[in-house]
Amino acid sequence: MAVISLKNVSYRYPLEENQVIKNVSFEIEKGQVWGLIGANESGKTSICNIIRGFIPEIYRGELEGEVEIKGKKIESYGDGELASVVGYSFQNPFTQISGVKETVYEELAYGMENIGVPRDEMIDRVEKLIQIFHLEKLKDKNPFQLSGGQKQRVALASMIALDPEIVILDEPTSQLDPQSTEEIFEIIQLLKEQGKTIILVEHKIDLIAEYCDHILLISGGEIGMIGETEEVLTDPKVLTYGGQLPQVVLYFLERRKKTGEKGKIPLTVEQAYKILKKGGRN
Amino acid sequence: MNSSIGKLYPSTKFAVMLLLVIFSIFTPGYVMQYLMFPLVVLISLCAGTGKQFLGTFFKSIFIIILFIFAIQVFIISNEDAQPIWGFLHFSQTGLNDSLSMTSKIVAISSLVICFFQVTNIKDITYALERSGVPKKVTFLISSTIQLIPQMSALSKTITDAQKSRGIETEGNMLIRAKAFVPMLGPLVLSSIQQTEERVLALESRAFSSRTKKTSIYEMKKKTADYILDILCIAGFIAYILWRVM
Repeated sequence: MAVISLKNVSYRYPLEENQVIKNVSFEIEKGQVWGLIGANESGKTSICNIIRGFIPEIYRGELEGEVEIKGKKIESYGDGELASVVGYSFQNPFTQISGVKETVYEELAYGMENIGVPRDEMIDRVEKLIQIFHLEKLKDKNPFQLSGGQKQRVALASMIALDPEIVILDEPTSQLDPQSTEEIFEIIQLLKEQGKTIILVEHKIDLIAEYCDHILLISGGEIGMIGETEEVLTDPKVLTYGGQLPQVVLYFLERRKKTGEKGKIPLTVEQAYKILKKGGRN
Repeated sequence: MNSSIGKLYPSTKFAVMLLLVIFSIFTPGYVMQYLMFPLVVLISLCAGTGKQFLGTFFKSIFIIILFIFAIQVFIISNEDAQPIWGFLHFSQTGLNDSLSMTSKIVAISSLVICFFQVTNIKDITYALERSGVPKKVTFLISSTIQLIPQMSALSKTITDAQKSRGIETEGNMLIRAKAFVPMLGPLVLSSIQQTEERVLALESRAFSSRTKKTSIYEMKKKTADYILDILCIAGFIAYILWRVM
């Protein structure tokens, strides 16, 4: 059964003339990892906000169509109920801090406090998160004193603390250095192994190709392309919809033009290495 | 906050403060009220906040008191006013009035300042939540306290941005005042702009959940708290009996 289902969904922000999302329909199964890609202003964040219920609950505006989360209409979820079903990590780390907690340790527990998790369980979960997110040195610091990347890690950990079944990550690595980006993707891999359903909005297409099993390409508020990663990210049509292709794919497409060879186009460096090695090119 | 006084339960400290405020308001004269000041200094010293208390007191309340004395004793013209020079005169009635007025200000303000200096805001919000105060109210208290350093950091960023674009922000009072006004607009607008994102961040942490809130931070009343609570009640009853009889 689909855990996320959008049927003929269109949306217009208040006071805007045009719809930012136009007749979008798709379904996401439990445990899948979807890469949500597209050019800036294409409507990726709006789709995330619709799935999280912030549209129209907080943003208002006109929403048409049907949105179902775990087979239940999104509007039938009670106050704060969706927070423990759909976790959302935002693009801007500076506004993701609750602003009421004095230490990172307490910040991690804030969401759990709100849903009434018993204290012992909270301590247990917070300790685990500190280990997973490497927050040992930051746990006693004030969240406002952290750098952008550190705040992003704390915000992500605070969201995971609620143990949501669906996780939306809106450009989680936009403020991070390469090493922290790698750490975040290790966590994404961990969440994937735990069977979480993940929607990942990201411009680092090589990482999308490596970690996501499905792609939703949004272009001008409409679905440009949808399907399995291998199918979508090896298709040059992605470029016409304002999307990007992984470096490896671009290289192999160019090679094909020159050599006329056929066969599977690799998505990752690892796959490319295997193909090239097989063909005798080291 | 790590002293024995700092570790007392907030409601206990509040009860003590309230009792002493009641004594200060309803006891005639000014001797007892002025005696509150050395008492509070002593409490602050025991709590390790003596320096902080004296600093706050002399930078704020003391100036107000001096101002009241000057106006009441030398400026306001009472019937017993004795001319000194020009518009200045000495009035015994003014002196008595200002002693009575300032003694209460000294007592109450010292007690309130001391209470907030020896009590962590986290402890106050925890105690309020435990006593059934809605979480929206406690959120408002905590976020307001946290907002001050945030706003000052934001104003520094704006000032730096303006400085890098050639606006003079350092120098005499006039230059600083001139730089302050154009900073207000972006400061207020950025703060408003951030509110929307903050709402989303809070909502993603189930802020609007109707489930009873729990807390990872824990604080319990100890024997000393119960003893002080009982002493406060006894002190209050004894004071009423003394005032009535």
